[in-house]
Amino acid sequence: MRYYLRKFGFYLAALWAAVTLNFFIPRMMPGDPVSILMAKLQQRGGSVNPEARRAYELLLGTDTGEPLARQYLSYLGNMLHGDFGISVSAYPVPVSEVIATSLPWTVVLVGIATVLSVLVGTGLGMLVGWRRGTWLDALVPATTVLAAVPYFWLALVLVAVLGSALGWFPLIGGYDVDFTPGWNLDFLGSAVHHGVLPALTIVISSVGGWLLGMRNMMVSTLSEDYVLTATAKGLPNRRVMIWYAARNAALPSIAGFAISLGFVVAGSIVTEQVFSYPGIGSKLLEAVQNNDYALMQGIFLVTTVAVLGANLVVDLLYSVIDPRTRAGANA
Amino acid sequence: MTDLGPDSPAPRRAVLPRSSPKLVTGLALIAAIALFGVAGPLFVGEPGAINDIGLAPPGGGHLLGTTQLGQDVLAQIAYATRGSLYIGVLVGVMATVLSALFGIVGSYVGGAVDEAFSLFSNVMLVIPGLPLVIVISAFVPPEQRGAWTIAVVLAVTGWAGAARVLRAQTLTLRNREYVLAARVAGEPAWRIIVVEMLPNLLPLLASQFVFSVIAAILSEAGLSFLGLGASNSSTLGTMLYYAQNGFALQRGAWWWFVPPGLIIALFGCGLALVNFSIDEIIDPKLRTVPRRIRQRRRAPAPVERPAPDTAVSVRNLSVTYGNAVPAVKDVSLEVRRGEILGLAGESGSGKTTLAYAINRLHRPPAQVTAGSVTFHDRDGGDVDVLALPPGELRAFRWSQLSVVFQGAMNSLNPVMTIRAQLEDVLATHRPHLSRSDRRARCARSLELVGVDPARLRSYPHELSGGMRQRVMIAMAMLLDPQVMIMDEPTSALDVVVQRGILREILRLRDELGFAIVLITHDLPLLLEVSDRIAVMLGGEIVECAATEEILAGPRHAYTRRLLESFPSLTGERGAFVRSGEATGGAR
Repeated sequence: MRYYLRKFGFYLAALWAAVTLNFFIPRMMPGDPVSILMAKLQQRGGSVNPEARRAYELLLGTDTGEPLARQYLSYLGNMLHGDFGISVSAYPVPVSEVIATSLPWTVVLVGIATVLSVLVGTGLGMLVGWRRGTWLDALVPATTVLAAVPYFWLALVLVAVLGSALGWFPLIGGYDVDFTPGWNLDFLGSAVHHGVLPALTIVISSVGGWLLGMRNMMVSTLSEDYVLTATAKGLPNRRVMIWYAARNAALPSIAGFAISLGFVVAGSIVTEQVFSYPGIGSKLLEAVQNNDYALMQGIFLVTTVAVLGANLVVDLLYSVIDPRTRAGANA
Repeated sequence: MTDLGPDSPAPRRAVLPRSSPKLVTGLALIAAIALFGVAGPLFVGEPGAINDIGLAPPGGGHLLGTTQLGQDVLAQIAYATRGSLYIGVLVGVMATVLSALFGIVGSYVGGAVDEAFSLFSNVMLVIPGLPLVIVISAFVPPEQRGAWTIAVVLAVTGWAGAARVLRAQTLTLRNREYVLAARVAGEPAWRIIVVEMLPNLLPLLASQFVFSVIAAILSEAGLSFLGLGASNSSTLGTMLYYAQNGFALQRGAWWWFVPPGLIIALFGCGLALVNFSIDEIIDPKLRTVPRRIRQRRRAPAPVERPAPDTAVSVRNLSVTYGNAVPAVKDVSLEVRRGEILGLAGESGSGKTTLAYAINRLHRPPAQVTAGSVTFHDRDGGDVDVLALPPGELRAFRWSQLSVVFQGAMNSLNPVMTIRAQLEDVLATHRPHLSRSDRRARCARSLELVGVDPARLRSYPHELSGGMRQRVMIAMAMLLDPQVMIMDEPTSALDVVVQRGILREILRLRDELGFAIVLITHDLPLLLEVSDRIAVMLGGEIVECAATEEILAGPRHAYTRRLLESFPSLTGERGAFVRSGEATGGAR
């Protein structure tokens, strides 16, 4: 129980840190983002109603003479309600709505790609570590090249080869615009078809890290006494490999999930840009290019919450896999 | 952690990486690209010079072709490589300093500072870096966005992972004897950190530095590709940005787009290869060892049963590690049914290696180079253990010959319950047993060694050391084996628990009649419990005789020395363990 409380407490602290960071960054930076936003809004023919202006001021800070503490409290209130103001680039849609339509795309894409990459990488790492000294060792240096390739570069090469040259997959977009988004087969099929290349990019680029981490831990674990015991017990090789070696070797990879997820999220933002994928990464860049600070801030917060949530889920999962954490011994 | 037992040569901890193909390739890649980045710009023309032959393929005046505007791609790459390396090294240095500050200093000081630093690092770690970088960069007007700004932002968002790794290592280091000694001697904290601890943290720092350089170059490339990089600077990322916006790939101008990415990939690959070598210093286990060694033909074939009561015969057995000197030299030995055979000798004498080889548990680079091991079944039939095919070897293990390893603390899998670890023996060797029969047998075996069957549901970390060793003994008896090898079964336990367990073992041996090969450096203990004693020295058995004979008149000089080194051997042998009376002075 203590373990869970600690974890929840930690993620609350992290969330608070992110929200606060989000409050201070625009205030510390040069320039007056609120006036830029208001000017943009007027260009688009938007009326500057006081409510929208207030939301911007709280989000981005401007010299209104209001004490910082009061601004901060009102800002927290707005964040709680999900009120990030109006998006300029998608005027007059509120930021929360822009995020709501694009978030599912990213969550599904990054989620599936990450799960695939973890499974493939850990599985291969287990085999490479288990059969150390065989030809499988050659996989290790090979994957380092893949891990060092920039995501977007790989994405563009994949597009050029599998998309343009061979025509197997569509070049850009998240689905065929002929179909209406919804729970129908045509749309889902086209979404999967469009998702293959972006997902492939993420999997290829991130699988090496999982493989290497698992392989190294596997090698260390294989010299543990309990693996020797399992061998002496005459258990089948598969059982020794999976239940004695891999079960223990996977623990540090899972504990280090946060680092890996950070890289995947970073990579997928750039990847989305390459594919003009209708996800949150493309929206973030659109926001940056249009000085849509409100949307930018909102996306940063939502991404952070999603990443924190994913890490929390993994931490809770970890306590199921490693009984020692539940006793509070290792928390 | 007992890879090959205490008898294996201890791996020496190196400071410099060993030369290996990986290291050489890695260093060559890094050196070539760094040289290209540093010196290249001196030899190529002006990268921005516009020419009227746009998108010319490689060859002729332009080794790598030209861009859309006719700029020389090679010249651009040279300058871009310099830019990327500059940012990479800058970020690497800053991030490493930050992570050292938060990871090493925090955990050295300890207490609230450590808690705070650790919480801060962990928060920075879970907040996604690139979105934060993008947001920060977007607020900085392009004209103020120089290489240093980008580098600072990347370093500030990228140090946390390294800090966590360094913290874990520092925590183990600060309790080492030499650090504690320095603290007691009153050395100032900065001196202890710099002089005593830093040298041991260097490999880790180096690996984290390498890692942050790769990450920085990749992140910078990503940022520039999104148009958020340093303005007025030329990096591989900006080059890719222009190539993409000039539709290089769509127009088939691969020479414009592919080389910058390849340079990043190769440089990252070079750094990663160097990191492998550093990892091998940090964890010597990672050095690759050849897995399969061609089995050399053993001269003697399996032996006939020498006497009706022989359980195992070992003949002329030699075991070598790689091509080095043999750890076990031409050893011949017999284990008789139901006896306790003591195997004595100091660390490194080869006793563990010998015991493991009997069950073929030795691991590469150890290999049996000569000799035979024959198991004589009580129901008749002889088994040539060294020649068993894998399937039959697995069936033989544990059901005929089981092992209780030294360091009982680690012999149980920490993430499985006691029940699961007992049951999988039965599920493998007695597949016909029903689930309830399996459970009943597991419970009974625990009762036999004096452990409450309710403990079946426990995980190993919930048991005391003595209880864990009892569980191991229960597991070893589960299949009613004819021989049990016990490698220092009690040496990690305190004396009272030790005696209790030994008494238990003797009682069970009397009840069930298995033979025990008891390996220990504790000669007084062997004199008390064993029927015969074999003394090992330098991989050879120098003396093997009944315990009484050894006690009465040891023949080998080494045995005499061993006996003389225990001056308190005065009481009647075995009085304590065998009768349970406390005679004192037994150990």
